[in-house]
Amino acid sequence: MSAAAEEVSDDALLVLYANGDSRAAAELTARLGPRVFGVAMRVMGIRAEAEDVTQEAMLRLWKMAPEWRPGEAQVSTWLYRVAMNLCIDRKRRARGGHVDLDAVPEPPDPGRSAAEQMQDGARQDALQAALMQLPERQRQAVVLRHLEELSNPEIAGIMDISTEAVESLTARGKRALAAALAGRREELGYNDG
Amino acid sequence: MADTDKANQELEELFAAARRDRPALPEHLSAAILADAGRVQQGRHAAGPARAARQPLWRQLIEAVGGWPAMGGLAAASAAGLWIGLAPPSFVPDPVALAGYEDSGNAVPYDSYDMAMVLSEDLQ
Repeated sequence: MSAAAEEVSDDALLVLYANGDSRAAAELTARLGPRVFGVAMRVMGIRAEAEDVTQEAMLRLWKMAPEWRPGEAQVSTWLYRVAMNLCIDRKRRARGGHVDLDAVPEPPDPGRSAAEQMQDGARQDALQAALMQLPERQRQAVVLRHLEELSNPEIAGIMDISTEAVESLTARGKRALAAALAGRREELGYNDG
Repeated sequence: MADTDKANQELEELFAAARRDRPALPEHLSAAILADAGRVQQGRHAAGPARAARQPLWRQLIEAVGGWPAMGGLAAASAAGLWIGLAPPSFVPDPVALAGYEDSGNAVPYDSYDMAMVLSEDLQ
C-alpha cells in the first residue's frame, strides 16, 4: 500500500477489509503479521508452531472483521490476546512433548562480522532457551513487556489479569532469566569488569 | 548488588538485540494469510445475497412486520379484537346506537293495524 495508507488506523483498515477492500488485508498483514509471528516464535519456541498460531490468529481476525466496533479496543491488542490463547492451547495439547530449540532460526544480519553474528546468535539462543524454562504466563508477560515493549495495562488486557499481576509476572520472569543466564556469562562473551 | 545490576544490564542488552532482530514474516506464511483473507471475504460476499434469496415468503413477511415479538403482539391484538366483537363487555357502548340508528320511532309499521286498514281500503 502507499505511504498514505500508513496513516490509516488498524481499526479503519479492518472496516475497509470487512467492506470488501482486499488491499486493506495486505496492509493489515504487513503491519500485524510480523508482530504476532515474533511473539508466537518467542512463546512457542518452534517455528512451525509459531507459523500455525500466526495464520490461525489472522484467520480469526478476518472472520471477526464484520463485527468489529471501531474505537472500542485496539486491533493489535485483540490479536495478541487471540495469539496468546492459541499458544496456551497448543502448549497444553503438546504437554509432555519436547521443545525443539534448534528450530528457532538465527536471524541474518549482513551488517555484522561472522564472529559477531555467531556470538549474537548464541546469545539469542541462550535467551530463547532461558525463556522456554519460564512458566507459560511468565514467559508471555516477559515477551510482551520486554520484546514487544507493550505497556503493563495493555498486557493486562491481553492476558486478562490485573496490572499488578503483570508487574509481578515480569519481575519474577526477569529474575529467573538473569539467574538462568548467569551461568553462561563467559560462554556468551560477557566478561567480568 | 553489583552482580544483580550487571545481570540486569546484560539482560536488557539481550532484549534490545532481540527487538532489533525481530523475525520477518515468512513469504509463504504471508501468502497463506492473504489467501485466507480473500477466501473469508469472498465467502462473506457470496453468502449474503444467497441467504436472502433462500428465505421463504412467510419468513420475509414476519421480518417485514418486525420479527417474532411483533407477530406475538399482532396475534394478541387480533384475538382481543375478535373477543370484544363477539361478546362486548357491559361498559362498552353499543356500536349500533353510536352510529345513530334507533330500532323504534321512525320504523315502518308494515304489520301494524294502520297498514291493514290502508290495504283493506284499497280493496274496497
